[in-house]
Amino acid sequence: MTLLLAATLVALQAATQGPDPRLQRLDSISRPIVTALVDSARAAALPTEPLVQRALEGTTKRATPDRIVAAVRRLALDLGHARDALGPTASPTELVAAAAALRAGAPPATLTELRRIRRESLTVPLAVLTDLVGSGVPVDSAAAAVLSLAAQARDADLVEFRRAVERDIALGAPPASATAAAAAFAAAAVQVNAGARQQRPGPP
Amino acid sequence: MRPPRAARHAWAAALAAAWWLLDAPPSAAQATGTVDVGVSSVRYDGFLPSGAASVSPALRWERPTGTLTARGTYLRFESGHRSLQGLIAGSFLIRPAGHRWGGEVGGSVGASRYLDFASFWHATADARLHLLGADRGAWIGATAGRTAYGAGARPVTSAGVGAWAQRSQVMLSASATRSFVGDSAYSDFLATALTHRGAVTLDASLGARVASRGGGHGVFGEASATLALGERTLLFLAGGRYPTDPVSGSVAGRYVSGGVRLRLARPARLASRTSLPSASRPPHDGDPVPSARLGVVPQPDGAVRLVLHVAGAAASVELAGDFTDWQPWPLRRSGDGMWETVLPIPSGLHRLNVRIDGGAWIVPAGLSRAADDFGDDVGILAVP
Repeated sequence: MTLLLAATLVALQAATQGPDPRLQRLDSISRPIVTALVDSARAAALPTEPLVQRALEGTTKRATPDRIVAAVRRLALDLGHARDALGPTASPTELVAAAAALRAGAPPATLTELRRIRRESLTVPLAVLTDLVGSGVPVDSAAAAVLSLAAQARDADLVEFRRAVERDIALGAPPASATAAAAAFAAAAVQVNAGARQQRPGPP
Repeated sequence: MRPPRAARHAWAAALAAAWWLLDAPPSAAQATGTVDVGVSSVRYDGFLPSGAASVSPALRWERPTGTLTARGTYLRFESGHRSLQGLIAGSFLIRPAGHRWGGEVGGSVGASRYLDFASFWHATADARLHLLGADRGAWIGATAGRTAYGAGARPVTSAGVGAWAQRSQVMLSASATRSFVGDSAYSDFLATALTHRGAVTLDASLGARVASRGGGHGVFGEASATLALGERTLLFLAGGRYPTDPVSGSVAGRYVSGGVRLRLARPARLASRTSLPSASRPPHDGDPVPSARLGVVPQPDGAVRLVLHVAGAAASVELAGDFTDWQPWPLRRSGDGMWETVLPIPSGLHRLNVRIDGGAWIVPAGLSRAADDFGDDVGILAVP
């Protein structure tokens, strides 16, 4: 009953919203197809703004209609897979980051595991994962490193970890080795240095 | 009365550490303020049990490579007597590039006062060498400093070894230390376990003091549980037996404490460039236009200042991204080769490109790049 009500509300919302006026910037060939893809995504309760932005990006870059449609369709699929991996509670920013991670080659199981072990937003861990893979770190190594840190590391720790990997690669370290070493250090920074980091409740 | 030389040195080190943390523009640093309010039942060895109420404000500055903590405690016992304690502690981690070992240097300065007759102060510095694995590590370290009860300061030295391992959601550690405080000497063996389960954190320790001369001996252990109630409130319950600490002047005893910890504000960045990856990232081999580099500077009002350094002459520079609806947005010339703009960019992952003098859309150095589905590349910017 609840699902039926939600689907009805989404359909009503879609019917009342009409096409996004920004899509008027698209050419006459891609515009109706992209509009239909956006409507489908909305009906599936996926975020539509990334799809509109991907179409606008293609227009600004003077891409052909075929390429624009293909890019939007692919992103819609990626967002769906991302939601499957992260669950229905994932935020739009998390879904966008997860879609990018999947596109980079991260296994869906890694995303699901991230969701399980981290209470905070997954946006930065997923961005770090995607960026590591883009820097040449093997997916398995990158995923293992991010998973080892994600449970307790703050976003700032993850950003610092990413910088450390970047620096080591720039200095000539193999990407996988640089990632393992930086992850170990980041774990130490989070866990070993507990004396000054933590305020444990204790004796009066 | 001038403080002893060791204490002056320790305070200088603490101030230097504070300066290092506060003067941290290129890195993410966070400042957190908390206040613990609680009640305890404590029985110091050789004394009758007593109830006490406590208030403990604390400030903590954190960077990924170090921490500085300042904490005070006001205790009022049921007898009406009062105790004051203060502590500043910090540590800084150093890791040579590409190695699995790292260094940690730290220091601690503290003082306590009970009534008008018992006052302690201590100042210590410590160093550790860490051997680091992905989910385990080991360290060897040493501590040196001074402690004083009343007027006479005594030397403090200790050496120790330890190891830690992460198993699923549980952090385990073990250590052994041998300490010398004036004429006293003792060895401590300690094992700890820490785990997080959702909003609950459990922490336990078990130890033994042996080969002691003037430091007491026996088995000790403590346990604590905390329950997070949202981002700003936390309940805690702790209890156990702890040993005498000749350095800080605390007397061995048994206790049970409970209370609430209030976070004064959400962790705030003191100064940071929160984009990811680093704006100082060296250009990749395949960068088509390495002469353009983007810097990202978050503004206090939540907006983001984008600064593009362009080598060579340029008449116009534009950027386009999902935060401009991919409409070209002109940058303002702000100096020799520097162009900038300030835009409201929400938290999340963003895609952007820049172009110079109406040329091709490019990814400037300082951003991660990804295939853009249109036959070229797009820059990726993450705003936490």
